[in-house]
Amino acid sequence: MPLRSFSSPPFHPVAAPAFPPAPPLVRSAAGRDLPAHLAFLRDRLRPAPSHAGVLPPVLPFGDPRVDQCFPLQGEQRGLPLGALHEIGTEGRGAETGELPAAFAAALIGGICTRLRGRAPVLWVATVPDLYPPGLPSLDPARLVLVNPRDIVGVLAAMEVALREGGFAAVVGEVGAMAEVASRRLAFACQKHSVTAFILRRWPHGQRMPDRQASAATTRWLLASAPAGRWQVRLTHMRGGHTGSWLMEVGDGTTHPVRVVAALADHTAAADFERGQATGDG
Amino acid sequence: MTVETIAGQRLLTAAAADGLLAATAAGGLAPGQTLATARALYPHLIALEADPAGDIAALTAFASWAQRYTPLTAIDTEQDHGLWLDISGCAHLLGGEPALLADLRTRLARRKLPVRMAIAGTTGAAWALARTQDNTIIPNGAEAQALAKLAIAALRLDARSIAGLHQLGVRTVENLARLPRADVTARFGPLPMLRLDQAHGQIAETIAWPQTVAPFRETVPFTEPIGTVADFAQALELLSERLCRHLAAAGQGGLRFTARFFCLDNTAQTITIATARPVRNPAYVAKLLGMQMETIDPGFGVEAMHLVAEDTAPLSAVQAEAFAVADELDRLATVVDRLSNDIGAARIWRPTPYASHVPERAVTRQPPLEKSPTWERDPTQPRPIRLFPRPEPIEVSAPVPDDPPILFRWRRRVHRIRSATGPERIAAEWWREQARPKDRPETDLIRDYYRVEDTDGARFWVFRAGLQGGGRPPCWFLHGLFG
Repeated sequence: MPLRSFSSPPFHPVAAPAFPPAPPLVRSAAGRDLPAHLAFLRDRLRPAPSHAGVLPPVLPFGDPRVDQCFPLQGEQRGLPLGALHEIGTEGRGAETGELPAAFAAALIGGICTRLRGRAPVLWVATVPDLYPPGLPSLDPARLVLVNPRDIVGVLAAMEVALREGGFAAVVGEVGAMAEVASRRLAFACQKHSVTAFILRRWPHGQRMPDRQASAATTRWLLASAPAGRWQVRLTHMRGGHTGSWLMEVGDGTTHPVRVVAALADHTAAADFERGQATGDG
Repeated sequence: MTVETIAGQRLLTAAAADGLLAATAAGGLAPGQTLATARALYPHLIALEADPAGDIAALTAFASWAQRYTPLTAIDTEQDHGLWLDISGCAHLLGGEPALLADLRTRLARRKLPVRMAIAGTTGAAWALARTQDNTIIPNGAEAQALAKLAIAALRLDARSIAGLHQLGVRTVENLARLPRADVTARFGPLPMLRLDQAHGQIAETIAWPQTVAPFRETVPFTEPIGTVADFAQALELLSERLCRHLAAAGQGGLRFTARFFCLDNTAQTITIATARPVRNPAYVAKLLGMQMETIDPGFGVEAMHLVAEDTAPLSAVQAEAFAVADELDRLATVVDRLSNDIGAARIWRPTPYASHVPERAVTRQPPLEKSPTWERDPTQPRPIRLFPRPEPIEVSAPVPDDPPILFRWRRRVHRIRSATGPERIAAEWWREQARPKDRPETDLIRDYYRVEDTDGARFWVFRAGLQGGGRPPCWFLHGLFG
């Protein structure tokens, strides 16, 4: 687990709720009481549901290789919802940010299928070049686009939306960003149970710092892989593990993205499926 | 003098000041003269370019200033630039009509504005007297007598009618009134008699008051001028509270609110907010107004504030109060209001499909609170996730006709193509007039789109514009990126 690079998280004292006292462990030698006690403790550790029933705690990937990186919440493992996630990219795409946009759209598509109602998705970006017909698995009818003049406007719009709530997800395309700003967003996400995605997008000529402190719960780094897949690296998961997989968009109903085997013949086969192979595949 | 080019001729339009007008009239200068003639008469004439829009703007500002005397003020743009003030029921506030005139004259003299004024019971009489006998006040019913000896030009007639009546020897209003009505109307049209009747008060004349008094308006005057943000916020809360009670009684909700701050130096500053849906929640209105409070410069202090709901729509009590839990649309409306008052309503939109094959036209914008229709996707024709507003030209090396490129350079980086799918041919919409410049053949506007993937796995949407052997050699563009 990577060490957190900043000092202490903001401290928010919360009045301890009155729980019934734990039943004493009588006959601890007897195995049959231990599970009951564990269930009780687990129940006690479960975070208090806000907007109960509206937002599930996690978005499972449906693949143990990915899900095991995330801590258990309730009975499930998966991408924590009601949290801030940061998706970046390596190499050329840092300027145009098409890979993070597609990955985020796939994840949000998964969130939307798990939500009742038609909660909109707010997508905030300074450059209006998102093309809704090209969004994987996210219904463009849910989209509301906001185009502020600058990054400060993007962060402010995201925070307004997060504090009001009622969105399936809030997405912001942001370049350089102070850690304080990400902490504000992360706190708003937790408090109002809305999932937010920061898509790192660097203006032309700006270099991406190697590592920047951020309060996001997860950090992802994407690179393009042949045949429309992504080389996905989970570089940070608070209280979990990191990992790296080759992924592609799922079928849009059960799981948002799926892990594919990185085999050379798969790529070649996909090439043949997709059309004429012209070169060194 | 101000000069305007009308139909290719440089014509004089108006004299700058009152005294000058008299001097120029005596010297033979008149509006409508050519600049050359005027220069011949006065070689040292200073000619300035006329600025009609600026004149109207200045007059409009003057009219809103004059609202200190009456809520009904309007500028007269028809004939001669002037100002109407309907002071019915307002004069006693300043101690009667003579006192009002004197007050207005003093204030204008302080600003060195030459002015001619008159008060009469009809608009026609007031107009005529203001231009002929300055500072006249005539009682109601005395119009015919007061106007009798005036020239017929005082009736706001057109130049043709005036010239025609002069030919008949009709010089004064009195003369005109004696003529048989039917003959005058037959010869000069209805205008002369209409104006005469309007001046005499026999036919009512309506003036288009630009700012009708909004029915939803609340005012709070202050005994001592205020100037702190906390005071403004408190006053806004009070005004919102009263206004929303007023709106609730009428079953209305406001869509646009304007708070006006009347400062001690006779200026008024405003904050305007717009909401996506009708609202009448006082705290909400006050909060939105408060967001723009920093734009107000109180100067020496604010002596009065008012809040107007300029645009309203029906809002039933059920909609406004029954649901304690805000639904999704309500929350979206709240966010849209906050953001649109901050960054502008045009920057928040909902994409809507539009029936067009041309990719950049297939998405249109609509207001965020409207429901988006169903999007239909064709899985055989994937679309990129980023679409550049303007396709970016790319350099293609060794192009083979009717084949996708093997290598291209975009943003100073070379991409070697590993695989390509296509073409998908999209032709320009010939039925749109502006789609094709006249000098270009139609084949130049045919685009063949290819989805190409480079050796790094990045996928691009490129197209070739034009055909081999068309009007000009085909060019390649990058239009979008797949995620």
